[in-house]
Amino acid sequence: MNTMKWLVKREFWEHKGGFFWAPVCVGAIMTFFLAATLFVGVAMGSKHGIHINGNVVTDLNGFMSAKDKAEFASGLATGYMGMASPMFLVLGFVVFFFCLGSLFDERKDRSVLFWKSLPVSDSATVLSKLAMALAVAPLITVVVATITAVVSMLLICIAAATMGLNICGQVLTSPSAYIAPFQVAAILPVYVLWALPTVGWLMMVSAWARTKPFLWAVGVPVLAGALLSWFNAMFDFNLNMSWFWRNIIGRGLLSVAPGSWFGLTDVANGLHANENGADFGSILAQSWQVLATANLWIGVAVGAAMIYAAIRLRRWKDEG
Amino acid sequence: MPMLNVSGLSKRFGALRAVNEVSFAVSEGEILGLIGPNGSGKTTTLKAALGLVPFDGELKVLGLDPRTQRDELMQQVCFIADVAVLPRWIRVCEVVDFVAGVHPKFDKAKCERYIAHTKLSPRMKVKEMSKGMIVQLHLAIVMAIDAKLLVLDEPTLGLDILYRKQFYQNLLEDYFDEEKTIIITTHQVEEVEHILSDLMFIRDGKIVLSATMDEVGERFTEVMVPSEKVESAKSLKPIDERQVFGKSVLLFDGVPRAQLAGLGETRNVGIADLFVATMKGTYA
Repeated sequence: MNTMKWLVKREFWEHKGGFFWAPVCVGAIMTFFLAATLFVGVAMGSKHGIHINGNVVTDLNGFMSAKDKAEFASGLATGYMGMASPMFLVLGFVVFFFCLGSLFDERKDRSVLFWKSLPVSDSATVLSKLAMALAVAPLITVVVATITAVVSMLLICIAAATMGLNICGQVLTSPSAYIAPFQVAAILPVYVLWALPTVGWLMMVSAWARTKPFLWAVGVPVLAGALLSWFNAMFDFNLNMSWFWRNIIGRGLLSVAPGSWFGLTDVANGLHANENGADFGSILAQSWQVLATANLWIGVAVGAAMIYAAIRLRRWKDEG
Repeated sequence: MPMLNVSGLSKRFGALRAVNEVSFAVSEGEILGLIGPNGSGKTTTLKAALGLVPFDGELKVLGLDPRTQRDELMQQVCFIADVAVLPRWIRVCEVVDFVAGVHPKFDKAKCERYIAHTKLSPRMKVKEMSKGMIVQLHLAIVMAIDAKLLVLDEPTLGLDILYRKQFYQNLLEDYFDEEKTIIITTHQVEEVEHILSDLMFIRDGKIVLSATMDEVGERFTEVMVPSEKVESAKSLKPIDERQVFGKSVLLFDGVPRAQLAGLGETRNVGIADLFVATMKGTYA
């Protein structure tokens, strides 16, 4: 267990840029632009007034009904985590390229000869990289995303208050504001299982490819899909190509994107936002429904098999 | 128990037999020099012993099979498999902490003491170091590991002579004792010959010479023969002949030194000369 701790630490040292600084920078930039937009909006609003339904208003307090105000407040309280969603997109990219390089880079710079001189098994090494990609990295992103979203929410509250719309109290006393980060974190187990086939595929290619892992990992499946589609169209094979693209290529390459299960499965009801914007309670519930699909579990089995293959490859591949 | 016991070791790469039915044993306290031309199979032999490549035949390191018991084996065995293989992104303090975290036989204080004798600083990254400094760091780590067997495969290739001398000096003075065993391969034969206890020449996947350094001294004699005695010297079947300042230098295998003394000045052969004589025609 101690070895595992050090292995994960090692991955973090090596990939601090992607796993820590990338979300921090994206969060900082998003917060900055929101703050700037709000500042300009507030400054312009107080100077010239805002045009709402043809009326010029400088004080929102009298203009908004109590019901509208409550709806706005609860929308902000339940949906503010959605403001951090670009960071999860970034996470998808970071995890993708981390996995692709995870077992290739060490062979390329020959440092694998150093790592292998230590009493650390190949399975421990590969599993530590898996843990980094699917547990530590998403957790860091959830934490940074939460901080970004909370700061953004507070900025909006302050901006609204300067416009005469005091919703701070309503937002901050709303239980959903406090539950939202945990609801996002609670999606994590679904992400771990869902992303396994893509992570497994990328790590396997990373352990196997002598050069250009990206070309092998992405080029080969896409080319295979394109050829198959072409044959299918030319010779009337009657294959269900959209099934193939979705379930083989899509699952193999895109599952690292958080939330991609909404696009790649037919979860009951599908993804829908209620009138208050994204409600993380329902996103969470729908995400967990993916666990009831065969799609997810077949992916887990295939992903686990490919992780095993990656361990074997790391054990026996001779670097000459 | 022998440190390393090899019998009938073979390794093929396609049609090429990199290692061909090799057998030898290494016991505790030896410093064995494994010397051979490029592509002779020495690195493959060591990689087989370290569990880095699959192989045919019998091979036990400390009684363990490196194919199936590699994880246990690596507690006892340490190696430097190439020059400057430390990851470029890592810092001195990070690599020391990491090895301390995962290696039960690593003495962190000892390692830091070795590092203090160099120009390395804890926050320095490997990519900022010269090749020689990387090797210094690697050696500091390896020497702080209380391993029974240390395998060094071309550990000083491409370093300048100061780093090379210092490398072997540190190894001998601060690391080696009678409970440790070291196997070294290198092309810089002259620099290791005085620290070796045993010598092995390997050529085309076969062992062509295996002896202790004392045996090498007894068996091989170099004689500087003046031209008038060359004919009679040649009747004793020298294994090599070269010309130095108009005199012939002949190398004999197994001819008693007393018998050779009459032909001219005798002396112990250097490993480099012996190597060249033994490997004649390798690349032809």
